[in-house]
Amino acid sequence: MRRKILLFFIFLISLNLTSLYAQDILLLKNGNIITISGENIMGGDILIKNGKIARIGKNLKAPSKAKVIDLKGKWVMPGIIDSHSHIAIEGGVNEMGDLIIAEVDVKDVINPEDINIWYALTGGVTTIHTMHGSGNPIGGRGIVLKLRWGKSAEEMIFKGAPRTIKWALGENPKQTNFSRQGKPRYPRTRMGVEASIRKIFEEAKDYMKKWEEYKKALKKRKKGPLPLPPRKDYRLEVIADILKGKYWVHCHGYQSEEMVSIMKLCHEYGVKLVSFEHGLEGYRITNELVKYGVAVSTFADSWAYKWEAYHTMPHSTALMVKRGVLVALNSDSAERMRRLYHEAAKTIRFGDLSEIEALKTITINPAKILGIDKWVGTIEVGKDADLAIFSKHPLDPYTICEMTIIDGQIYFDRAKYLEEMKKKEKEAKKKEEKGKKI
Amino acid sequence: MRAKKFLKVVYVCFFILCGGLYTYSNSGLHEVWAIKNCKIYTLNGAPIEKGTIVIRKGLIEAVGTDIKIPPDAEIIDASNLIAYPGLIDGLGKSFLKLPKKKIDMQRLASGEFTDEDRGITPGREAFELVEFSKATLDKFHRYGFTTVQIIPERGILTGQASIFNLIGNEKNKALLLKDTLLGIGFSPGMFGVYPSSLMGVVAFLRQTFSDVIYYNMHFNRWKKEMNGLIRPVYNLNFEILDDFITGKKPVVFFCRNQHDIKRALKLSKEFNLNYFICDLGSEAFRVIPELKKARARLFLTVEFKVPSTSIYARKGKSIKEKAEKEIYPKNPAKIAEAGIPFAFSSLGTNSPEKMIEGIRKAIENGLSKEDVLKALTIVPSSFMGLSKALGTIEPGKIANLILMEGEIFSKDAKVRYVFVDGKKFEIKKKEVKKGKEAKVNVTGKWGFEVQTEMGTMTFTVEFKQEESSLSGKLISQFGTFEFSDGTVSGNEISFDVTIFFGGQEMELAFSGVVEEDTMTGTVVQGSMGSAEFTAKRIPEGGER
Repeated sequence: MRRKILLFFIFLISLNLTSLYAQDILLLKNGNIITISGENIMGGDILIKNGKIARIGKNLKAPSKAKVIDLKGKWVMPGIIDSHSHIAIEGGVNEMGDLIIAEVDVKDVINPEDINIWYALTGGVTTIHTMHGSGNPIGGRGIVLKLRWGKSAEEMIFKGAPRTIKWALGENPKQTNFSRQGKPRYPRTRMGVEASIRKIFEEAKDYMKKWEEYKKALKKRKKGPLPLPPRKDYRLEVIADILKGKYWVHCHGYQSEEMVSIMKLCHEYGVKLVSFEHGLEGYRITNELVKYGVAVSTFADSWAYKWEAYHTMPHSTALMVKRGVLVALNSDSAERMRRLYHEAAKTIRFGDLSEIEALKTITINPAKILGIDKWVGTIEVGKDADLAIFSKHPLDPYTICEMTIIDGQIYFDRAKYLEEMKKKEKEAKKKEEKGKKI
Repeated sequence: MRAKKFLKVVYVCFFILCGGLYTYSNSGLHEVWAIKNCKIYTLNGAPIEKGTIVIRKGLIEAVGTDIKIPPDAEIIDASNLIAYPGLIDGLGKSFLKLPKKKIDMQRLASGEFTDEDRGITPGREAFELVEFSKATLDKFHRYGFTTVQIIPERGILTGQASIFNLIGNEKNKALLLKDTLLGIGFSPGMFGVYPSSLMGVVAFLRQTFSDVIYYNMHFNRWKKEMNGLIRPVYNLNFEILDDFITGKKPVVFFCRNQHDIKRALKLSKEFNLNYFICDLGSEAFRVIPELKKARARLFLTVEFKVPSTSIYARKGKSIKEKAEKEIYPKNPAKIAEAGIPFAFSSLGTNSPEKMIEGIRKAIENGLSKEDVLKALTIVPSSFMGLSKALGTIEPGKIANLILMEGEIFSKDAKVRYVFVDGKKFEIKKKEVKKGKEAKVNVTGKWGFEVQTEMGTMTFTVEFKQEESSLSGKLISQFGTFEFSDGTVSGNEISFDVTIFFGGQEMELAFSGVVEEDTMTGTVVQGSMGSAEFTAKRIPEGGER
């Protein structure tokens, strides 16, 4: 018995060594591959080189230095993408001190050691959009992260992902859901929320004009003192960039009227509004959503938790998908993040989406919403090797995420993790017994 | 093995007791001293095995082996003593009496927040707020400290530091340099006031630095041109901040964890600041490449508590405790090994004995005594711009030095004499007195009421007292939190509880006095300031 254990450890160590030497090439064999972009490949292989998917097919030959993992019929899908979350943020998710606070940036406060990142990996999540809360009509800037657990904040940032900013409509920016210390904050109505956005847009336009005039004056000047530059305003700089379409707007909203209204406003100012967050009444305005090209990032069957969330149903997602709206399912919670595949499955139960349509809501659709579909969201040659491996079909109620891979690197391996836990347990027991003897 | 352990315990007890055995007397008028026959660590070259130090009118007149003792000198035969430069606490808040934060709910309801509410008090000067009490001076002398840099550390733009010699209660006499350093913290002032979040603080700092530069550029131009230019609106804070943001004077960032350090480095680079990092979280070792690249200068603290953001704090209690014992105390050694300049700060430990205790822990974890000595003398004096006046025993420098029995930081070392500005303080042996025994027993349930900014908070604490040690649990609406390591001494009790509140970890440090079935005192809430509490014993069987 002891010898067996010893052999097993040698085996483990040798596994580790090979992973050290052959990190660049990985071959996953005999998996049932859900590519999302095309047909499923049953019993297929994926060859990964330098973090990218190099080949997909059957009976691929392993290059000499490749590390090979036999999946034995397990299911492989693209790494799950959560387009709305608030994990890995240090020191508060909302800046409540002022109304419009576009100058604050989640990028400044990423905590790469938040244990929720690890928990998310255990549910097959590879990319998240972590964002400011919904306390302000125009909130702070968000950031897209790849969950490279163990790396620094800078190393986790998804390179090339467009910068995002959080907006919020309805009860949260109105601050009706909780009592506030001191004086109530403007606005107290939905009209006021929209007006506050319009007002800051006009301020930002004036601000841009001031700078243009200054630059003109600087050019024109031949003699005499230099013109005085305008004061740099970090808040208005960001708003100005929103007006120039540099930021992708993710707007928290529940009710159909306010969503339609804000789409018109954004259209008027040329703002890049990419998605409504939650958007529970989105199924009522599918024509408008399609017309303005705005997506909805929503919940599968979570509603009625406050009055503005009454008027929806679990069929909402399917209804929107069938009418051509780009829909993603998000977690908004560190706990739900670990089981987004269950959320996707609910859209089949409620609304009869196809398996692929359902899985798209947690892969390529959020990737499109975040502007990262060039790199992730499907299993295709040339894309990042971000994969989630499941024991059964990911929509099976009994499925378990076995392994999570980002850029061809294994960041979560359930079998290995359980083995380590067992080992630690044994060590702890040994220690305890030793202590007793003394 | 056991005997060794026992000896160790004896040594430790001895050291702790020794701290309490000495008192000082000062001898007023004497101005010329000759300390002869003593081993001298000048910290400027090799130690002198048997030499003489002459002190005249507050300065060191001569140091060496062949020194003629002046006829007017009073002689101290220090044949069994060792001389070191006086120790410097690089950054601390001892002696500082900050005004209490007063919360006027009526004012808050009107939405009028003050700069104090926001934590924006750059005009707050340590010089105006220090009080040198004899008892605290005595404590510092007992552990060899002669100089401290004191800084208000509450808020975001916290205030300005001053450097003092620990010579007595006259601060004009004690002052070395005034308004040396501006403190910058990352903790928001209070909920509902901008900035109320960490990301808000970062954005606020960025805008403020930019505004200060703009304001002063604008004002200077107006003063020069006047004609054709509108003048800016006067802003006192921007006037004060000018020197610090333009790099004429340094700032210090209070960093609670490695991420704060990175934020500080980023802001410093962005605005080209002249800066120090105060490593409150002992996590500098996790960002060594960044610190080296930035040529950062550090104030290291020696509390060695794992910050709540750390992965070591998120994987269960045993891992956290292990990290506090084995990983974080290695911080100073790793920083020294990396060659990053650092001085020691008493922040976090907040008392000389606990600071020295922490430094001894750092030595046990691989830091060399030479590096420790430098970090308490030469390095802080150079950080302060006082290299010509402090840090070594050299002619012309201020006569700040200590005479010790035994090598500094060794187990049985004791400070015998302290010279500050050439003034002698003798630390005499006192009668051996046992540590105070507990005179009360608080075991049982107590109903607590704390007056906070947000109103009155109530909760229950269940104490378990065994002689003078105290443990128990705090039961509140946010959950139940256990604690140990509390103490009862006489009728005074103190205990620390770590609670989780809204996803954040918060340290509550209680200290109070017990009178029969009532307890009164203060609770310090992490960086949020302190509040008063009262507690009443809940009779057994009866609920509140």
